[in-house]
Amino acid sequence: MSLRCLFLAAGLAVLGSVPLSATAPLTKDEVRTSELSQDVTIPTPGEFFAAVDKQGQPNWTQIFAPKAAESTASREQMALMLGLLIADGYIAVEAQDGQGVKNVGKDIINLAKKLNVSQSVLGRGNSISDFAENNDWSALREELEATQNEVKLSMAEQKDNDLIILVSVGAWVRGTEAASLFISKNYSPGLAGLLRQPAIVEYLLAEVNRLPEKLAAEPLVVQLREQLAAVLPIVQTSGRAPLTPEAVAELAASMASLVNSISGGAKSP
Amino acid sequence: MKTLLLLLATAAILAAQEPPAEPAASPRSRALELAGAFANDGYKIRDGFWTGTLEPGKPKVLQVNLFSGNEYWFSAATLSPKAKLSVAIYDESGRPVEGELFQDGSVAAAGLAADASGKYFIRIVLAGEEKADFCLVYSYK
Repeated sequence: MSLRCLFLAAGLAVLGSVPLSATAPLTKDEVRTSELSQDVTIPTPGEFFAAVDKQGQPNWTQIFAPKAAESTASREQMALMLGLLIADGYIAVEAQDGQGVKNVGKDIINLAKKLNVSQSVLGRGNSISDFAENNDWSALREELEATQNEVKLSMAEQKDNDLIILVSVGAWVRGTEAASLFISKNYSPGLAGLLRQPAIVEYLLAEVNRLPEKLAAEPLVVQLREQLAAVLPIVQTSGRAPLTPEAVAELAASMASLVNSISGGAKSP
Repeated sequence: MKTLLLLLATAAILAAQEPPAEPAASPRSRALELAGAFANDGYKIRDGFWTGTLEPGKPKVLQVNLFSGNEYWFSAATLSPKAKLSVAIYDESGRPVEGELFQDGSVAAAGLAADASGKYFIRIVLAGEEKADFCLVYSYK
């Protein structure tokens, strides 16, 4: 549908569209001072999987293999596990596995309770369950992102700001693991190009490097920092070239190792 | 009869109550309203958003990561009736990319079909005389 039709359908005024080529390039200063927003700059796993779906036909049912949430007292591990679970929720949605989404939703809420998040987050669990019951996959994608943002907001209210980035890292790690495992077995330059995400890794690494000394010294955070630094040259190809098959396999192995460490070496239930 | 009286009394109480107040408009609600036009065409609206204050002639630039094959719309709004907002998209080297623009006073949007994965920049500019709070949301399919 054209832009004009879209706006007319929505009852909005149409003033027309113009080619962006008429616009001047950004200045060096504008590039240097450009902002990053954790809520917008980092894509959701759902957005990533939508692009994967267009270039391959992943069997998401096979990919959906959530790890059992290990009981832990470590808040940084819980925050990372929350991120893993949110990405698992998106995978379950792609697999159109209603019961799987409900189970993941329950795990998210149970873990969020341990982190003392607000009551508003707990209400999201019911919404996830209701949407899953009705197979409303589109609403579930929105609800999962909203749940993640609500968890982060609640963490900020509790002065747990340091944990917020770990939720984002956990979701990115699990989403990248799932996609890179699929792409390593079904390699094509188009699919491998989707893994070219240097700006995301740079941003996550910079945020992890900003964590307070005590948290940064935790073994899991040390491993996270080392592995993000190690995958940066893998996903940073020149001239927007796709990753090679070897690079995809290396990325998949690195992400699988991180997922395993975050979930405490737990096996799939 | 008692039931009828009870129903009439309930109806009278309900009628006497004031209608629920409309939620106050915000830059985000206006940006979401604009993005809603794209939702009709299968675009999913991200829950995350970017806000700030724009001064006339002092653009703000945001980094985003887009995926090849996905289509995107970036919708922005302010509440200032005299504001003239514009949004444009640039590739990782800062060159403008081909796409579509929509501009209608205090709301604006830019869309593209990403042909390469990686970093992009979204530039938002305010023309006018007064600074204004803005919100930008994005949709993809």
